[in-house]
Amino acid sequence: MILNLLTVVLTLAGLFFFLATTVGILRFPDFYARMHAAGKGDTLSSILLLTGFAVYNLHHFSVGGLLVTLKVLLIAVFIFMASPTATHAIIDAGFESGIQPWTRMPAKAAQTEEDEQS
Amino acid sequence: MIWQLDLFILGMIVVCALASIMVKDLMSAAIIFGAYSFLMCLLWTEMGSVDVAFTEAPVGAGVGTVFFIAAVFRTSRHVSRRSEGRLGMKFLGLLGAFMTGLLLMTGVHDFPGWADPNSPASQHVSTYYITKTIEDTSVPNIVTSVLADYRGFDTMFETAVIFTAGIAVTLILRRLGGGGGSHSVSGPAYTTTAGYPDTIIRFISRQLVPFMQLYALYVVAHGHHSPGGGFQGGVILGASFILLGISYDLKTTLNRISERANIALGNLGVLIYAGIGVVCLLLGANFLDYSALSKLLPGATEITARSHGMLGIEIGVAIAVMAIMVSIYVNLASHGKHDEGL
Repeated sequence: MILNLLTVVLTLAGLFFFLATTVGILRFPDFYARMHAAGKGDTLSSILLLTGFAVYNLHHFSVGGLLVTLKVLLIAVFIFMASPTATHAIIDAGFESGIQPWTRMPAKAAQTEEDEQS
Repeated sequence: MIWQLDLFILGMIVVCALASIMVKDLMSAAIIFGAYSFLMCLLWTEMGSVDVAFTEAPVGAGVGTVFFIAAVFRTSRHVSRRSEGRLGMKFLGLLGAFMTGLLLMTGVHDFPGWADPNSPASQHVSTYYITKTIEDTSVPNIVTSVLADYRGFDTMFETAVIFTAGIAVTLILRRLGGGGGSHSVSGPAYTTTAGYPDTIIRFISRQLVPFMQLYALYVVAHGHHSPGGGFQGGVILGASFILLGISYDLKTTLNRISERANIALGNLGVLIYAGIGVVCLLLGANFLDYSALSKLLPGATEITARSHGMLGIEIGVAIAVMAIMVSIYVNLASHGKHDEGL
């Protein structure tokens, strides 16, 4: 019962964060913001979903089942390591190839505003 | 099998295939092709052929994409303008593809239904393989026993094909003697700013590599009981070296597995495979009839000897595939000069 509840909560949370990631990728204004959404949301939701599966797998307790649970958790650990690193690598490549970050106002307007303030 | 899910994945595959053709930027095409490979892998998993999916995941979606990117990086990134103008050629190409597609579509009509037990393919020898594999070879994973034992001769030449691919890439791309002036494509399609060492990427890659190699060995050794085997394990082993080459530089990879060692290992892998076959011959059985190995292996019956023989050739395949993957990457990424990587 508790296991079921935990599975449902974890899976739903994972799905929610996946949805948020998708919305973020589609709606955010520029490359860096989109990767920000993809990197964080993807990692968190994958880990939540995988943990949900791992918990669900404990339903019929056996040594073999426990082994599968451990393997699923290991996948979560490796996603936790690899996914943010991949995001970092992509953003780094974007930065090196000279993509300018998005700002609320065009660069020139911001410049003049700063001049006026100083 | 859930047909809705199948249809959805198939639709995505068609979209990916079209997108990778339409895109002008070859780098994007390579990435989309990786996504296409991954979707194929999902589809195969969904249809129950986990071994094929497991091969596609590291080969198609993983190392294959890296090869494409390396090749694009070292040649040119955009479709040349000369080939864009010829409408006639394009039309001919479209016509050819369309006619081939039409031919294939008419062929589909004669196919037996999915998993039809009365289809010719499931009536001839596959029933024998499915029912007798435990009795004959004591290997629970039928795919492995078919691949490595019943059809071992085919698999030997598959390994030889991979070996030939590696030899061909080395022969075509390798430039000996270093330096030697600039070549025609020396200016890559685009340049990065003098790749400074990125601590995060290097650290995480260094942490992941031992786990990858351990996992690859597990895949090779556990191929009898679960999906996996020599090809998959070999590709993952090779990918661990390629990851080092990408996150550090080519020298780091070449220090760990030099070109000479690479060629030697590629040869050794195929030699192990063929050698086990020859040993079987010398023991008075057919080529690759592993049951003869029971005379050599202590405590092995004729049945378990077949299982051990399969493990032997899987190890050979893994060594060959690993060496070839690394050597193809090194040659592609450095334009055959082995000086600097991507």
